[in-house]
Amino acid sequence: MTRLIRSLRDGIGFDTLLIILALFYLFVFAGLPLIYNVIISFQRVDVFSLGTLWHPNVGFENYERVFNDPLARRVLINTLIFTIGSVALQFTLGFAAALFFHQRFPGATWFRGLFLAGWIMPGLVVGVLWNWLLSGDFGVINHVLKSMGWIDSAIFWRSDTAWSLYAVMMANVWYGMPFNMILLSVGLAAIPDDLYEAAELDGANAWQRFWTITLPMMRSTIGAVLALGVIFTLQQFDLFAAITQGGPAGSSTVAQYWSWELSFREFDFGRGAVISVMMIVVVLFVSLIYVRSTRAETRL
Amino acid sequence: MNRLLTTTAVALALTAGAAQAQVTLTLWTESASAPEGVFAREFSEIDNGITIDVREIRFDDLVADTLRAFATRTNPDLIAIDNPDHAAFSSRGAFLDITDMVAASDVIDADAIFEGPRSSLSWDGRMFGLPRASNTIALYYNKDLFRAAGLDPDSPPATWDEFLAAARALADPANDVYGVAFSARASEEGTFQFLPWAQMAGGSFDNINAEGVADALTLWKTLLDEGLASPDTLTRGQWDSTGTFNGGNAAMAISGPWELGRMAADAQFDWGVTLLPVKEEGGPRASALGDFNLAIFANTQHPEEAFAFLEYYQSQVERVWPEFTRLPSVAGVALAPTGNERIDAAAAVFAEQLESARNRGPHPEWPRISRAIQTGFQSVLTGAAEPQAALDAARDEIDRILN
Repeated sequence: MTRLIRSLRDGIGFDTLLIILALFYLFVFAGLPLIYNVIISFQRVDVFSLGTLWHPNVGFENYERVFNDPLARRVLINTLIFTIGSVALQFTLGFAAALFFHQRFPGATWFRGLFLAGWIMPGLVVGVLWNWLLSGDFGVINHVLKSMGWIDSAIFWRSDTAWSLYAVMMANVWYGMPFNMILLSVGLAAIPDDLYEAAELDGANAWQRFWTITLPMMRSTIGAVLALGVIFTLQQFDLFAAITQGGPAGSSTVAQYWSWELSFREFDFGRGAVISVMMIVVVLFVSLIYVRSTRAETRL
Repeated sequence: MNRLLTTTAVALALTAGAAQAQVTLTLWTESASAPEGVFAREFSEIDNGITIDVREIRFDDLVADTLRAFATRTNPDLIAIDNPDHAAFSSRGAFLDITDMVAASDVIDADAIFEGPRSSLSWDGRMFGLPRASNTIALYYNKDLFRAAGLDPDSPPATWDEFLAAARALADPANDVYGVAFSARASEEGTFQFLPWAQMAGGSFDNINAEGVADALTLWKTLLDEGLASPDTLTRGQWDSTGTFNGGNAAMAISGPWELGRMAADAQFDWGVTLLPVKEEGGPRASALGDFNLAIFANTQHPEEAFAFLEYYQSQVERVWPEFTRLPSVAGVALAPTGNERIDAAAAVFAEQLESARNRGPHPEWPRISRAIQTGFQSVLTGAAEPQAALDAARDEIDRILN
C-alpha cells in the first residue's frame, strides 16, 4: 500500500495516472462522439428521433445517397480546390511575411504582432466584413479594381458561380495567414545564427542559405504548419455561412458546409454523418503527418 | 380569537397561493420587437402571476435551434415559428393540440381565422397554434423614377410583359439603378418569392413542372441576364434587396409589408405598392402567404398559462397593423390608419393581395420540398440547366418526398 502511494507521489504510478486521466478525457469527449458519429452514419436519424440513443439501421443507404447525389462531385472538387488553394496560399504568404519580419528592422516585432489582429477576430465577424468587401454592386474590392482600371464591369464575387468559391478562399487566406506566419516565425527564430554566419563565410549566397539551411532546419515546423492548415481549412465553416451559404447553385459548397446543410437544413443527420466520417478519415491521415513531424521536432 | 385565526389562515393561504401562481414561461422568437415580443413584455407586467422570458434567435437558426432543443427536451414553452415549418412540429406531436381550449375560449374564435393561416397550423383537423399575423409579397415601385423614365406612376405594370418592359425602361446602369430588386436566394426566402410566379403560371409546389412555370423561370432569368436585376439577387435576402430599392438603386422591389416602416423612414422619394403582375390580363392572381404562428410545446408544464398568453395576443390583434405593419389573420379587423399616407395606401394593396396568397404546404417535410424548388431555380439562373429540365428534376425530387 505504501509502495503504491509512493509510486503515485513520485514515480511510474504518477505518470500512469496522468496518462489515464488524459486518455479518459479524450475517450469521453473525442472518442465517444467520433464512434457515435460513425454509428449514426448507418442509421436513419431525423430530428424527432435525435433524442433517442438508438435509431433504425439502414446499412449503406446513407452512403449510397450521398455518393449518388448530383452535388457530390461538385463538393469533392470544391473541397479539394478550397483546401489545397487555401493552405498553399496561406503558407506561402505566411512564410514570406515571417521571413520579412525576421529581418531586423525597427518595429519588425510590432508589425508582426499587428498582423495577428485579423486572426483573433471571430470567423463570423471576418465573414461579415468580407461579405461587404466582396459585394457586387457596392463592394470595396470592385471599387478599387475599377478605379485602378483593371476591370470594366463589377465582378459578382458571391453570386457568380465562377468566382464564389474563390471569394471565400480569399477571405480564408487572409484569415489564416497570420497564424501560419507566427508559427513559422517561431521556427525561424529557433535556427542558430552561427549556422548562417558559417555559411556566409563559406561564400553561400542568400538563396543558397535559404535552400540549404532555412528549409531543412524548418522541416518539422513546416510539416506541422501544413498539417494544421489542412485541419483548420477543413473546419472552416463561418466564412461560408457568412459569405455565400454554399451558393449559388451549390457552386461554393464544400464538404463541411454540405454536412451541416444535410444535418441542420434538411434534418437528415445520417447523411450529414456520412460526410463527417469521410472527413474524419482525411483528418486522421493529416494528423498522422502532424504527429510524425512533431516527433521529429522533439528528437532535434 | 377564532376570527383572528381565520383571517390569518386566509391571509396565509392567499400568500401561498400567490407564491404558487408565480409562473415563468419562455418564448423563442426571431425578433423581440415583433408583436409577440412586445405583447409578451406587456403580458408579463400584468399582475397575473405569469412572466414570459423572451429569447431572440436569428431567423436562419430558429428551426434548427428549436429542433435541437426539442431533441434534448430543453425547448421553450412557447414559440413563434415560420408558418411552413409549423407542420413538421404539429404532425409529430411536438406542439400542444389547443382545439378544445380554443373552443372553450371567449377571446379566440377559430372560425374567424382566415383559411390560409388556419390550414398552416392545423394537422388532421386539429389546431396546433395561433397565427401571429399574415403577410404576402407585392410590387413596390419608385414613382419618381417612373416619371423620369416616362412611365405613368398611376398605372404600374399589371402583367408580366408590362413588368419586363418597365424593368427595361427603368434600368439605368450608368447611374447604378437596376430595374427591380427581389430575392432568388437558395433559402426559404427564395422559395417564398418564386412560388407566386409559378402559381400565376398554373403551377404549385406539388406540380412545379406544370406547363407555363418555365415561362416564370424564363422571366426571372431574363431579368438577371439582361442586367435588370443585380446578380447578387442570387445570394441576397429580401431585406437586403429591398434596402437597395430604399437607397434608390432599384426602381422596383418585390417584398412584403414588413418593409413599410423602414421604407417610410429611409426612402427619399415618392413610392407606391401594387399587386404582383399577373401572367396575362385576367390571369389568376397568386402570392405567398407568409408570417409566423404562435404555438405551445406539448411538453410544457404550464399549458393554461401559455394559452392565457395566446388569448392576450388575440385580444391585442387590432394593433398588429398600425404598430407593426403586419396584416391580422382574423376576419373583421379593420386596418387602422397609421398616420403615414403611403403606408395607409399600401394597406389596401396588401389586404387585396392577401386574398390570393397561398400556403406553402402544409407538409412535415417542407424544408426538403423547398430545397428542391431552390435547386431548380438556382440551377437555371446560373445557367447550369434549362428551365423545363430543372423543373422536371425538381418535380421528381418533390414526388419522392411526397410519396
